Amino acid sequence: MDFAPVLDGFGVVLEPTNLLYCLIGVVIGMLIGVLPGLGPAATIAILLPVTFGIEPVTAIIMLAGIFYGAQYGGTITSVLLKLPGEASSVVTVFDGHAMARQGRAGSALGIAAVGSFIGGTVSIIALTLVAPLVAGFALDFGPPEYTALALLGILLVSTVSSGGRLKALIAACVGLLLATVGRDSFTGAERFTFDNLSLADGLDFVPIAMGLFGLGEILYNLEERHRAVQAPTAVANVWPSRRDLREASGAIGRGSVLGFVLGILPGGGATLSSLAAYALEKRRSKNPERFGKGAIEGVAAPETANNAAATSSFIPLLTLGIPANATMAVIFGALLIQGVSPGPQLVSQEPELFWGVVNSMYIGNILLLIMSIPLVGLFVKILRVRATILAPITVLITLVGVYTVNNDVFDIVLVIVFGALGYLMKKSGFDPGPLVLAFVLGSLLEDSLRRSLLIFDGDATGFFTRPISGTLLVVFLLVALLPPIRAALRHRRAVPDPDTASHDTTKELV
Amino acid sequence: MTVLVAYVPTPEGNAAFTAAVEEAGRRQEPLVVLNTPREGAPVSAAVASDATVEALVQRATAAGVDVEVRQDPHAGELADEVVRVAETVDASVIVIGLRRRSPVGKLIMGSAAQRILLDADRPVLAVKP
Amino acid sequence: MTAAHGGAPTQGSPGGQPVAGPPSGTVLSSGPDGPATPLEELSLEEAIHRVEEAEHEGRPPAAGPLSNVLTAAAVVALGIAALVGSTRLGLGTVRSPESGTWPLLVSAALVALGLGLLAAARRTTDAERFSGASWLVLAGLATMVVFVAVIQIIGFEIPATLLTFVWLRFLGREGWRTSIVTSLAVVVAFYLIFVAALSVPIPHLF
Repeated sequence: MDFAPVLDGFGVVLEPTNLLYCLIGVVIGMLIGVLPGLGPAATIAILLPVTFGIEPVTAIIMLAGIFYGAQYGGTITSVLLKLPGEASSVVTVFDGHAMARQGRAGSALGIAAVGSFIGGTVSIIALTLVAPLVAGFALDFGPPEYTALALLGILLVSTVSSGGRLKALIAACVGLLLATVGRDSFTGAERFTFDNLSLADGLDFVPIAMGLFGLGEILYNLEERHRAVQAPTAVANVWPSRRDLREASGAIGRGSVLGFVLGILPGGGATLSSLAAYALEKRRSKNPERFGKGAIEGVAAPETANNAAATSSFIPLLTLGIPANATMAVIFGALLIQGVSPGPQLVSQEPELFWGVVNSMYIGNILLLIMSIPLVGLFVKILRVRATILAPITVLITLVGVYTVNNDVFDIVLVIVFGALGYLMKKSGFDPGPLVLAFVLGSLLEDSLRRSLLIFDGDATGFFTRPISGTLLVVFLLVALLPPIRAALRHRRAVPDPDTASHDTTKELV
Repeated sequence: MTVLVAYVPTPEGNAAFTAAVEEAGRRQEPLVVLNTPREGAPVSAAVASDATVEALVQRATAAGVDVEVRQDPHAGELADEVVRVAETVDASVIVIGLRRRSPVGKLIMGSAAQRILLDADRPVLAVKP
Repeated sequence: MTAAHGGAPTQGSPGGQPVAGPPSGTVLSSGPDGPATPLEELSLEEAIHRVEEAEHEGRPPAAGPLSNVLTAAAVVALGIAALVGSTRLGLGTVRSPESGTWPLLVSAALVALGLGLLAAARRTTDAERFSGASWLVLAGLATMVVFVAVIQIIGFEIPATLLTFVWLRFLGREGWRTSIVTSLAVVVAFYLIFVAALSVPIPHLF
């Protein structure tokens, strides 16, 4: 493998601007990971306007930093307050908080930081080796392969989203429809523009993302009945002992590998990896009853895995141009704004960007490790900020920020409309993530589909004549049809118990 | 009839607590400790930790006083909450701790103690550390 | 939890979903079945489920079947509307697709999924009922609408101050003093950052 571009990438990373934005990204990431209320996708969406004035590589370095930085931040609240800051830190609560109650909060945080660092770094190294291979392989991809891949990606992301599959798929379809608004690239006809000039060029990704994720989330949180308030906890000794490190080393190793693998799958990712790593450790432990009571592996495994997965989830985006989850979809959008088309050609055509971003993750992880240990006390202080004060500030940042994109007041109108939509969606149990993902992939998907049909001369079975697209489509059909069929069979066979059956089938069918 | 003390884990709060225990002993009334943080944040410095609460309870019982601790968060102004709770527990006196506040400080950040003194419909005992 | 962004259960939801928990002691679920087994004794899946339920603790209760039916009906209606729109764009054939072909496929899928949702409407439990607090959301949206409506006429300073003030005082129930002082401070900061430092051409009065 040619390592020259990789080394050039380090040159890019070490430029002062990029280092600065890397630092900004990871600090913001940690902050929002600690704060309940906003997550990485929402924050990245809200900060999209910032990416306009800076270089693409710098922008992605910052946004990536926010993403994996948030994985670090979520741990702090999980351990100290039994309040997972991120979905991927939920599992850490079990053993992490138990350790905190035993006075070992410092060890828990320390091992989480070390594990996160190692998991992230292992994942980056693996990414360095794997990504060019995938990209090289994907250069043979044609429209049929992209069609199948995009379809599969949307389906997988909808399968694991909150709110159930049916609703997520509906959200995805709405996203696909929104993508059609504007001028049809093939025929030039205007679609769904209702004679509105602002819509003629299509809907802009930025207001949609900022509205759905940013404003939608803030509005949704307004209805939250407030939770118990806790006294601040003092954390002493934030560093794991040598014994802790030794005991957790196996968990860290396994977590890294598991996280890396699961993070690549669309729909997989940090949360799934943390769950799987925890379950794995518990199953292979000689004393599984220790888990839940302060087993250090119970903290090391999920924290390592979620950082590894967060890093590897960049692979489908950067090598295939397929975002693996909602946050990647927003970053995809950020790249498009910058005029960069993610895809297999990215590695070869824009090596500085690709390797710049990848190598920035090493630096980012180091920065996080350095900061997370001494600065835990500081981050815990952040928890005293009241949501009621942050909310209007975030709203204003969003409203003013979206204006800076095109200096068009219409964008503010759009962001408010999508904010309302985002609120209604979350309220009714629809996950906005698949909508944004599908919106971002919509044009690509339609484009590839139409080209494929042209290639196959209208014969849809042509997809199955090509090995890759055929396989992907078979997987698609399996993933799509298997759960409802299984649920229908189970429903028919079992004697329905009124209380549990409805809940179970809802989880299956929906 | 009870004695209500508005407690925060600060020197002023502790002074108020000490005075409140004495007062409750003198009046032969149970003591209600109100330690209520402003809701909305996961953590607040105004909340007394479990260890602190235990210590307070011990001090009160050692002095022969029945004590009840209330830690539910409140929305809005602290002063309003104190006056409201005073009504609920039928307090015969409200005990608060006083902190030195400059005129500018009072202008910008307000003074809960001042609000309580002015709004309360029952005697208020203001104590300095 | 929020901000999943990369994973299972709460993957797509960008916001964090912190989990409520009693300040100390073992994690006990406040289920309808009364005092529950401590978290440590449950299997992993059950424990995750319990934790996710706790996530919904501070939220309004689940919506009734009527709301679910209405939601599903709205989806179907949207699908049908899009379908009609697609036919107007020209359907073409699979062999030679036209502008409306792809929207047709998607809207057809939407209608089908919407019907599926309708069928499951009685059993769906993941929607929420509108509560008293929903008026706060409406108020919040109203402030934003007013903001965008007047911003071009009187600049952003006044609407921004008003928006912040309303959010602090009425939606956040902060005190008068805090609300006034904070909203002024925020707008001054925004002015300094966006107008003075970054020269963003946002309509401004001063």
